[in-house]
Amino acid sequence: MTRTPGHPLPADGSPAATDRQGGRTRAARTPARTPARTTAAVAVLGATALLAGCAGGRDAAASGGQPDGQGGNLTYLEYQPHTTLYPPQSGFYPNGALVNNVTDRLTYQDPETLEIEPWIATDWQVNADATEYTFNLRDGVTFSDGTPLDAAAVARNFDTFGLGDDERGLTVSEAVNNYAGSEVVDEDTVTFRFSAPAPGFLQATSTITSGLLSPETLDRPLEDLGAGSATEIVGSGPFVITDEQVGTEITLTAREDYDWAPPSSEHQGRAHLDTVTIVVTPEDSVRLGSLLSGQADVVRYVQAPDEEQVTQAGFQLFAPQTRGVNNGLALRFTNPLLADLRVRQALVHGVDNRQVVETVFTDNYPAATSVLSAAAPGYHDTSEALAHDPDRAAALLTEAGWTPGPDGIRVKDGQRLSLDVYASAAQPLSKPTLELVGQQLAEIGVELNVKSPDAGSYATDTLDPLKTPLYHSMVGRADLDVIKSQFHTDNRDVLLSDDATLDGLLEAVAAEPDPQARLQRSADVQDYLAEQAYYIPLFEEPQVYGAAPDVTGLAFEAVGRPTFYDVATGR
Amino acid sequence: MRYVLARTGQAAVVLLAAFTASFVLLQALPGDAILIKFDNPELGLSAEQLAAVRTAYGADASPLTQYLHTLTGFLGGDLGYSVQYGTPVGQLLGEALPATATLAVAGFVTAVLLALGIAAAATLAPLRWLRTAAASLPSLLAAVPVFWLGIVLVQVLSFRLGLVRTIGAGPVESLVLPVLTLAVPIAAPLAQVLLRSIDTVSAQPFVAVTTAKGASRRWLLTRTVARNALPPTVAIAGVLLGELIGGAVVTETVFGRAGIGRVAEQAVANQDVPVLQAVVVLAAAVFTLVNLAVDLLYPVLDPRAKVRLTA
Repeated sequence: MTRTPGHPLPADGSPAATDRQGGRTRAARTPARTPARTTAAVAVLGATALLAGCAGGRDAAASGGQPDGQGGNLTYLEYQPHTTLYPPQSGFYPNGALVNNVTDRLTYQDPETLEIEPWIATDWQVNADATEYTFNLRDGVTFSDGTPLDAAAVARNFDTFGLGDDERGLTVSEAVNNYAGSEVVDEDTVTFRFSAPAPGFLQATSTITSGLLSPETLDRPLEDLGAGSATEIVGSGPFVITDEQVGTEITLTAREDYDWAPPSSEHQGRAHLDTVTIVVTPEDSVRLGSLLSGQADVVRYVQAPDEEQVTQAGFQLFAPQTRGVNNGLALRFTNPLLADLRVRQALVHGVDNRQVVETVFTDNYPAATSVLSAAAPGYHDTSEALAHDPDRAAALLTEAGWTPGPDGIRVKDGQRLSLDVYASAAQPLSKPTLELVGQQLAEIGVELNVKSPDAGSYATDTLDPLKTPLYHSMVGRADLDVIKSQFHTDNRDVLLSDDATLDGLLEAVAAEPDPQARLQRSADVQDYLAEQAYYIPLFEEPQVYGAAPDVTGLAFEAVGRPTFYDVATGR
Repeated sequence: MRYVLARTGQAAVVLLAAFTASFVLLQALPGDAILIKFDNPELGLSAEQLAAVRTAYGADASPLTQYLHTLTGFLGGDLGYSVQYGTPVGQLLGEALPATATLAVAGFVTAVLLALGIAAAATLAPLRWLRTAAASLPSLLAAVPVFWLGIVLVQVLSFRLGLVRTIGAGPVESLVLPVLTLAVPIAAPLAQVLLRSIDTVSAQPFVAVTTAKGASRRWLLTRTVARNALPPTVAIAGVLLGELIGGAVVTETVFGRAGIGRVAEQAVANQDVPVLQAVVVLAAAVFTLVNLAVDLLYPVLDPRAKVRLTA
């Protein structure tokens, strides 16, 4: 039911910026590489990012705000209710929108330049092999309950995110890897140690999955961070959750004494808005109608077919990219039908992703030209290997021994070339997309059965390559590691792979300290995936929002979660 | 008195059966809520981490242990926690129940008024074609999908005409459209049964006698026919409850209202077993209670039934 990609990710990437990056490691065991762009191998990332950071502006998407006190109130329509405010589990967009606005992070990542800048941390040092990070903290920052955001609180946060607590259901953060422990050096200095190099940690401190909560909030079990407890979640961000109607409405109120926006932000002090009312409105047409009739100011998840209605009415449309592995189909080669490279190549050439975008989507969903989004760092064009070429596809299938049967579907040794795929609730318009792909594949003699499962069948069947030979997914996150996250057998493993070569190539991306070399490693993976025809990239997925004409200052963090700090409505 | 006790005992058995059946069915579903929530690739948890979470949640206990645990919990008033939201199920339902109850009662009352209006129009309207039109209205209304009706009402009355707000409406204003949406599909069968009963009763000899004595159509309808047509209408009220519950799911989703229907819809989507279990038992309880009430009321409304029972 949701269409939103709910990824957890830490974030960010920048369009077309091929040479930068705050990396993070996600694999346990694999040491990772280092981020910063200029200073090569030596891991003085902190310093670099610090220097580079000071220039960046903060607004990602819209014009500047208004003087304080004129912000008014914002009515924001969300598609689904939030499920938890535990930051490592807050990748789901309804969670992320809240965590992004009620917590601060140690560092700030510019959503456009991707540089890591100071925020709650004023500066930091990293040792040579990236196993020890020391952060100096800003003075005078408090949580909304008045307790200080000091070194002990920061240590407590990362001890929880890095180690988790199974008893309380608090899982380890996907973004914090190889975490060994913390040391409170003094009130405003904290050191983190890692059991293996963790060059991605710095960037991880900037993502919403590392949102800082008060120690008291972190004492709670997961149950007490879920729905019904929102007003008791204490962060240090510009907004505080002041009211919750379970499952239907959340009210955020600006914190009057907020005075620690990232230094690079032009806007300092309290948020412009007085309140944000987040109303859960599951029905698409009601969300859209409420926006266009002036009953709401901003809505998340405008369906592609409705975009035109928004712009034609003179309303604003935002489509921040989620920057990562493109929305696409993983071809699970451990299914015998897909074991033959020629069959996979035929599927790749049989799909016309431009037609998919033109028929089902809009210009905000660019057709993919690689496994990675063109807006993601490390993007490498592999469009040639992915070209739509039905003749070649048919020839490949014939060559592989699949000949057209009586109903046009190819047969070999009495077996039909018939493949199942599940419509994914998390992907926008997954069903129509897959049905169109099915029509395209039928033309080359391949049958695609699009199934709409319940959540339970989906969860079990998609772990079985025989039941789910094609798997529809994407991951939004702009770090170079995103590709490893999607394909490595220790991570999301969408291919359900047994390909050690692929794992090796992915680990090389995550372990390469030199930024230029790392881009090359990423290109190697993209070439390999294309050569092996493991993935059919469909399109580059955005998060699409609609906003009333007079809403200003709406911004988005790097994977498209809304930031209300600069927003003003004048109402 | 024995009748009352027997009926009440039956109700308790039905409830236990509903609980057991729903438990077995929910267990039989592929996957489970913990798998859906925690084995989500988004969280990137390893198999060991996942196993630890399962143990912590007691998901690895045997089905019988879980059944007894859940049953004793229910009997003691502890409905467990929603896996998806982490919220106690009791709290979730407790907050949703008043909203749904308000919607259901208002919807039902509106439906009854609507049905009575249709029946009155079909019987008393001055022109024949008007009576015919009114009489065919129930079939038309029964054919209207709730979902479609909700969307049309909100588009026209709220977005086009701006008569009622959908977002930011007060407690009464926010009820208008959902109640209308819910009332229509319930009014349809009610009106149908009412009309059929009126027809049947009107054909009875005593009606002819009363008419011969000079009674007007209106007098007839309100004094004699209506009283005789009422019992069958009340009898289907129990059946309509199902319609009410189904309608609430759709209505609450379309209008983004808090309520049991919404909670159930989300729980189904996430296979949130503790919530589903509680919703099923709650629905069964309400169903049983309403039917029990109808059964107990019927002899009061229809003396003939009383005679049969005592005979």
